[in-house]
Amino acid sequence: MQQGLAEKYELFGCMQCGKCTAGCPVSLRGPLNIRRLIREVMIDRNLEAAARPEFWDCTTCSTCSLRCPRGLEPHELIIGIRGALIEEGRIPATARDALEGVFKHGNPWGRIRSKRSEWAADLGIKDLSKGDKADLLYFVCCAASYDPRVQEVAKALTDSLAKAGVDFGILGNEESCCGSEVRRMGEEGLFEMLVEDNLKLFHERGITKVVTTSPHCYDAFKNKYQDSEIEFQHYTQLVADLISQGQLTFSKELNKVVTYHDPCYLGKQNSIYDEPRYILKSIPGIQFVDFDRCRERSLCCEGGGGRMWVEGTDAGERLSGIRIRDAVEMGVDIVATACPFCLLTLEDAAKTAGLDGKIEIKDIMELVAQAI
Amino acid sequence: MDIVVCVKRVPDTSEADVIIAKDERTVEAGDLVFDINEWDKYAVEEAVLLKEKYGGTVTAVTLGPDETEDTLRRCFATGADKAIRLTDSAFEGSDAAAIAKIIHQAVKDLKFDLIFTGTQASDDGYGQVGPVLASLLGTPHASVVTQVDIADGKARVQRELEGGLSEVVEVPLPAVFTIQTGINEPRYVSIMGVRKAAGKEIETAGLADLGLTAEDVGEKGSMTKVERLFLPPVTKEAEIIQGSPDEASTRLAQIIKDKGGFS
Repeated sequence: MQQGLAEKYELFGCMQCGKCTAGCPVSLRGPLNIRRLIREVMIDRNLEAAARPEFWDCTTCSTCSLRCPRGLEPHELIIGIRGALIEEGRIPATARDALEGVFKHGNPWGRIRSKRSEWAADLGIKDLSKGDKADLLYFVCCAASYDPRVQEVAKALTDSLAKAGVDFGILGNEESCCGSEVRRMGEEGLFEMLVEDNLKLFHERGITKVVTTSPHCYDAFKNKYQDSEIEFQHYTQLVADLISQGQLTFSKELNKVVTYHDPCYLGKQNSIYDEPRYILKSIPGIQFVDFDRCRERSLCCEGGGGRMWVEGTDAGERLSGIRIRDAVEMGVDIVATACPFCLLTLEDAAKTAGLDGKIEIKDIMELVAQAI
Repeated sequence: MDIVVCVKRVPDTSEADVIIAKDERTVEAGDLVFDINEWDKYAVEEAVLLKEKYGGTVTAVTLGPDETEDTLRRCFATGADKAIRLTDSAFEGSDAAAIAKIIHQAVKDLKFDLIFTGTQASDDGYGQVGPVLASLLGTPHASVVTQVDIADGKARVQRELEGGLSEVVEVPLPAVFTIQTGINEPRYVSIMGVRKAAGKEIETAGLADLGLTAEDVGEKGSMTKVERLFLPPVTKEAEIIQGSPDEASTRLAQIIKDKGGFS
């Protein structure tokens, strides 16, 4: 195991209060104990990490970091440990395939680049890779480009932006993975390469403003790319602005009881809690109710930190299952969210629970598009 | 345990639209993404695992132009100690037998206990380089190998047969094995790992260095020649299954059962 983790992540500041583990959503159902891990790293420099598959359970939701009274970032320690395993090549095969997919094809599903913008084929969207110019780049994201379910979100967003008169375009088949999950899986070298390539492409195409489907892309761009010439927004920020400025108006009612599931990368990690709720409450007819565990206390869906490609060791009930159960008890018709991974994991949980058709999982953007 | 692994750089065509070039004998490289042949990835991993267990060296060998150095760098990052690239414009058009001849010249004077190739390459799929190489070297060989154990100067290897059967054969060393996918779980090769391998020396050798003439290689030195490449004709046997998921899955299960798919 790599030396110096304790110094790198300032673990000597830890007083073992255990707030990290108490808040950790995956320790609800598995063996990962982040407080104990911090102690282990401090006293044992030869931590045999490869024999501990639970290090891949962490969704890097960052609840531990949010709650740490000493301001440490325990979830970054997990990323650091994964980084050391990556350099030894000893990682789960599915994580390996996802990383190789990003390297070879620019997306973690290993899908071919020439089909990246197929979803937009007949939609008449400007393609900046073909020389079109626009004020705003819509950064689609790998999930929204290739996953048929998430493509619906991309279509709802582009349709709504067009109706609001926003001048936007996409990067077509030139778009590559933002690398958010690549970094969270510990592949720092590949992440640096993606940052360099993506920023070069953005600058070449004269892009100064970017909006993303995914909180994961948004988080990576805003907090890790940190390019002073480009403004990054998550779509909920942009759409909330469009509604409040009267550029986006609704003509239909949506008479449903709706709750909102806070994506960790949007809420806990970027403090965007109000805009999604503002959008939902603006849609005529919607009766909005919040989960008990909402905002900073929101329960992670387990789709982050590379978990879309790693099953995890935990045997207990999936957190997305707990989330759906809570939603059913609240009597809601729709669970809305604003993240492709949350959308997919929650929808899977609803199907697994046999609630398909009884409760709907929707991206906020789909509800907006329905009500315009 | 000194091991030579033969690797090939191939296009990933799993989802790509393959376009046949005007000459009707090659495929247009176009936007195709190239990487190490899938079988060779397992062969390199197996060689490195044996080195980690028994000591020794791993030498990666490939044949091709400058771009194939990427494949060798990947081998370095996996754990190979040396790399040799065989390159000459005269090699163009070589079939499996001619390629085996070229590799034979490069490896015959090396000290080796084992030579690994992938069972086949995902582009032309001949699966012949390994056996022909063994024949030229005068060593025994085993193909479609799914397990390698070394004891008392001999190898005991498992070979995959049809119908889910395996056979175990004992092979004296040195020997040539063609490695099947699934023999191990190839490690992840990180970008840092590949970058660290960027400075490592790759030996190169051409026609004259290998003591060959233009008659020995390329089309002239080959026993087979590709006459024409074409896409398989579309047949009319496909059945589109209609109905609800329940009906469709019942029908699908019935078809699989009728064709002997469940045993």
